[in-house]
Amino acid sequence: MNDTAPVRLLLVDDEAALREPLGEYLSRQGFTVIQASSAAEARTFLRDHKADLVLLDIMMPGEDGLSFCRHLVEAQDLPVIFLTARGEATDRIVGLEIGADDYVVKPFEPRELVARIRSVLRRAARGVPAAPENEAFLFEGWTLDPLKRRLTDADGAVVAISSVEFRLLMAFLEHPRQVLDRDRLLDMVQGREAHLFDRAVDNQVSRLRRKIEVDSRNPQLIQTVWGGGYMLAADVKRVALEDE
Amino acid sequence: MKALLPRSLMGQMLLAVAVALLFVQSLSAFLVYSAQRDSYETGMLNVAAFRIVMETRGREALRGADRPERAPFGGPRPRGFPLETTSSAPNTANEKRDGHAESKLAQILGEQSLKVERIVIVHRRLGDDKRASERFLRHARHHEMPREQMDEILGNHLIVVGVQLEGQDQWLVTRVLSPRAMNLLLYPLIFQTLGIYAVLMAAVTFILRRMTRPLAALTRRVEDFAVARDLDGQIPVSGPEDMQRLILAHNAMETRIVDLLDEKDVMLGAIGHDLKTPLAALRVRIESVEDDIERARMATTIEDIVRTLDDILSLARVGRPSDPLERTELSALVVSVVEEYEDMGEPVELGETCRMALELRPTWLRRALRNLIGNALRYGHTARVSLGKDGGQAVIVIEDDGPGIPDGSIESMMNPFTRGDPSRNSATGGAGLGLALARAIADQHGGSLTLANRHSAEGRIEGLSARLTIPLG
Repeated sequence: MNDTAPVRLLLVDDEAALREPLGEYLSRQGFTVIQASSAAEARTFLRDHKADLVLLDIMMPGEDGLSFCRHLVEAQDLPVIFLTARGEATDRIVGLEIGADDYVVKPFEPRELVARIRSVLRRAARGVPAAPENEAFLFEGWTLDPLKRRLTDADGAVVAISSVEFRLLMAFLEHPRQVLDRDRLLDMVQGREAHLFDRAVDNQVSRLRRKIEVDSRNPQLIQTVWGGGYMLAADVKRVALEDE
Repeated sequence: MKALLPRSLMGQMLLAVAVALLFVQSLSAFLVYSAQRDSYETGMLNVAAFRIVMETRGREALRGADRPERAPFGGPRPRGFPLETTSSAPNTANEKRDGHAESKLAQILGEQSLKVERIVIVHRRLGDDKRASERFLRHARHHEMPREQMDEILGNHLIVVGVQLEGQDQWLVTRVLSPRAMNLLLYPLIFQTLGIYAVLMAAVTFILRRMTRPLAALTRRVEDFAVARDLDGQIPVSGPEDMQRLILAHNAMETRIVDLLDEKDVMLGAIGHDLKTPLAALRVRIESVEDDIERARMATTIEDIVRTLDDILSLARVGRPSDPLERTELSALVVSVVEEYEDMGEPVELGETCRMALELRPTWLRRALRNLIGNALRYGHTARVSLGKDGGQAVIVIEDDGPGIPDGSIESMMNPFTRGDPSRNSATGGAGLGLALARAIADQHGGSLTLANRHSAEGRIEGLSARLTIPLG
């Protein structure tokens, strides 16, 4: 992230009552905020100007947020964070599938929004693909769909994992049969819920074991390496997912 | 007896029609039978009367005026048994006289202006009549009749008529062989009655089936609709016109209900959106409040409003979830909810769990578990969560060490906006929707939610136990 030039945020929401105070708040946080009351207005702005990130309301009169988001991701390659009033899981997944980087559910905590904006910008600057690729990880009968954050067992039943556990598992799956020490894991798993992660890596590993090991007291999949850290003792296959 | 009576419309109507028809047909058959029997009997008596008249007046009496005197009477001699002249009445002491036939014969003879002193009519088997059987056996021997045929004929019915004419001591006895009226009349009648009965019952059954089949389909449909609340699988219009109209009206009503539910969902979505946007604006605006404590209080209030709003919206949507069932490993789900509370530093204890995969809606079930654990923490200060199997059901038990609920009000606790704390002091939190929502979510999964107080050995209430069950598979 470039610290010298202010970050330009394009805020698209039809509700002036929210857009204006949010714009002011974000300005106070050091961002340059451009406001647009509709997708059309935002398109007009983007024709001549640049933005670093778009904050986008889903439910808007005229072109809705989902369709505009598709345009932004495909044509402009801009990071997008959704502002949504709907909290149902299906909406979240649709938003992420069409390439949004993140979402917040209204009413959100403004500080959390700022944290997420920074996190998305950091990822964009690092050149990490905005959305996870559409492929799944297979290991020991388990399947992890990174896009939907869905872990399924050999029988196809969904096994609930938290977002920290998800990132931990992703770290293992991306480095199978490699010893990962605690610092490395902490670094890879560090996310927006970092405050939850203070509880030490060991605790999170034992939680993950509770969900995927046959006998969590005698773990086979995620093994403890003496003096080193942890290792995923399984081969991992990546498989392209069919669009549903 | 009551258990034997049919319960269905079809069964009851068939039984009623069958009984009524049987009664009416028996009555009519009886009337027809007695009328036919009467005329048959009259015929037999006429034969007897003819012989008596012929004997008393001589054959000449029957000769036509145009015939020459002493000319042969013509035709063969009457078959049967010749007239007998006896000194006493033909009946034995214990034989039953047929008074009805006697008065009828008296009338016939009266019409022939034959003066009769007394008439005796009795019925006998041919074999029981000495004179008739002697004569028959002679005849049978002559013709070398087979034994079976003889026995059959000996069993035939014989009418024995004795007449004492006016001013005479002697009796004229005539015998008429008459096959039992029953064989001649009753059997065809029974056959005919049963035939009509069978045809009518078949027709009634056919019509009833045409009525009850769509009715049964409609019943099944109503039951399905009550659960699914969508228009898939509406029944086609069939049956008699009345049924068709009922089905049409029902389908129209279903459509209306689904429209109303859709409208409700749209409205709830709009309410959710329209309230959450200003709340979001408010949440942003309070960031400019300088006083940290004041700002934190405002944020908490907004969170409370949002939570209550979410609960109300969820309660209104719970019966018609838009998300599909998903095969889910239940223990991981229970554990992950418990861990959320652990992360917040809440005293939640995880008991026994075992792995099981079920078809369920994870987002909803999480919500039910959060509500139940949240209640346990709020009123009972601790929560113990366990998961097990019991008779084809997954059972999640959440126990606390709180004061429990007075036995009388356990059921009403499940109603929306009812809280354990009658003061409705918001310090204890919530709008009283948590249990109502948890129960509705259990219902949505085909399961149930029950609350019960836990008692110590001395009978004191030790806490509350919430038991959420979901059918396996």
